[in-house]
Amino acid sequence: MTTATTLDNPPHGHPDHVCWGGGAANHTQHRLDVRGLTVSYREVRALEGVDFSTECGRCVALIGPNGAGKSTLLKSLVGILTPEAGTILWRGAALTSAHRELAYLPQRGEVDWQFPITVRGLVEMGRYPNLGWWRSFQKHDREIVDRALAAMQLEDLADRQISALSGGQQQRTFLARALAQEAHVLLLDEPFTGLDQPAEEALRRLLRDLAAEGRLIIASHHDLETVPLIFDEVLLLRRRTIGFGTVQDAFTPEAIAATYGTPALAQP
Amino acid sequence: MGMWHDLLVPLQYDYMVRAVVVSGLIGVVCGFLSAFVTLKGWSLLGDALSHAVVPGVALAGLLGWPLAAGAFLTGVLATGAMALIKVKSRLREDAVMGIVFTTFFAAGLLIISLTPGGVDRKTIIFGNILAIADRELLQVVVIAVVTLVVLGCKWRDLMLFCFDATQARTLGLPVVVLHGLLLVLMSATVVAALQAVGAVLVVAMLVTPGAAAHLLTDRFGRMMWVAAGLGGGCALVGAYASYFFDGATGGCIVTLQALVFGVVFLWAPRHGWLAERRRARGRSGSGKAQEVRL
Repeated sequence: MTTATTLDNPPHGHPDHVCWGGGAANHTQHRLDVRGLTVSYREVRALEGVDFSTECGRCVALIGPNGAGKSTLLKSLVGILTPEAGTILWRGAALTSAHRELAYLPQRGEVDWQFPITVRGLVEMGRYPNLGWWRSFQKHDREIVDRALAAMQLEDLADRQISALSGGQQQRTFLARALAQEAHVLLLDEPFTGLDQPAEEALRRLLRDLAAEGRLIIASHHDLETVPLIFDEVLLLRRRTIGFGTVQDAFTPEAIAATYGTPALAQP
Repeated sequence: MGMWHDLLVPLQYDYMVRAVVVSGLIGVVCGFLSAFVTLKGWSLLGDALSHAVVPGVALAGLLGWPLAAGAFLTGVLATGAMALIKVKSRLREDAVMGIVFTTFFAAGLLIISLTPGGVDRKTIIFGNILAIADRELLQVVVIAVVTLVVLGCKWRDLMLFCFDATQARTLGLPVVVLHGLLLVLMSATVVAALQAVGAVLVVAMLVTPGAAAHLLTDRFGRMMWVAAGLGGGCALVGAYASYFFDGATGGCIVTLQALVFGVVFLWAPRHGWLAERRRARGRSGSGKAQEVRL
């Protein structure tokens, strides 16, 4: 597996943006702290006082029943939804709007796959904010796109239209776009839904690799059996934080039962 | 020799040359924009806008304003009304559009019928490019040039907005501004196209070239050019041909567009109906030898 480590050190990159992951001296620089996050859609409260705190180098699972607020949380973190109360601190500073270091990967059902765009074209979108007023690609931008495609093993598919990809390839295309964006935090909405067994395993390894490089992965996930295989930490969510911690500590049968209401529902 | 001579007859008339050139220009601009409109899913909104500008044109004609100004005003008003009703009610978008654009269109018809001295009803509803006045001509050219320049500069942002507004927002692009920009360009283009084909057929100019181009290519950049070319070509040829059919420029242009779309729909190399059928048959013919995908 070609790792994307080099992406963190592009020739003209920002050395101060490098994530070092667990064990680094300056942890506070790479922490994501969510405190008392409350989000409502009109009268309906979707999230209430959600707290958790994690850092680069981790894979965090968002677990909870339908309507628990998993997508809402992801969308709030990336600045699409405005919280009613609470704060989101990224590297010590409050996030008030979209931040380029946080990338959101939509659920596959939300994407218009018939859009006339190739894999490369989609990955290039990650560079748009860097392109200046005329939106013209420089050598530097092309190099970053090339590296992102290589890291996700998409070079041979670069000219394919996105509907002519398998589910796993589609996920990797969106991951490559996040890499081209030079994101540190990858927020994924149900990334494993609809993938076959080999594709699921490949994506699992890929996410582990990205975390090992020092990125923070937060993904909503519904397959409880695979949680320990992929993730380091779990956030059990049901409008409020039911539990948060390492998989070993927080992912207990009692906590799962509390999240899903009844023990019977805990089995997917 | 005789046939060629007959074919070139329209070029002897200044008004025909002018009509053909202006129609072609309008066709190019509408085609360009249609790439965005069809992919954003705003085809119906284009229809709504083209009807909503009618009272503006009628009023502007009465007051001696530039027609574009009046059209633009009611176009924006209608868009605002639609947004307001949608947010403040439980109604679905298509119902809201249906109500708002017919209301505006009805108001326009009423204004026209109550003021015999104002703008000609036929001109608004069916267009009249053959008799376009100099002032209107200038407006069309200004709208066309501005729209082409803006699209030329900002097509990437608008493409990302059409593909994935959420992503555009997470990348820090001003999504609200882009939304407004696309609406403004659409309203302006509707005003220009009104002169060529009339309010009823404007939507065809804003949808058909883009739809045909979408079936012809898998790259957005290429799709824009193909749509602009199809729009411009059909408008040029349609306006020219209208000389031989005596009138009905809009009808000629849009019928030609429809013919082109029909051909593309059937014979597009990859996304045409026949190509899809061939592919489906090939797949079932070779048993379960489906593409291996990982």
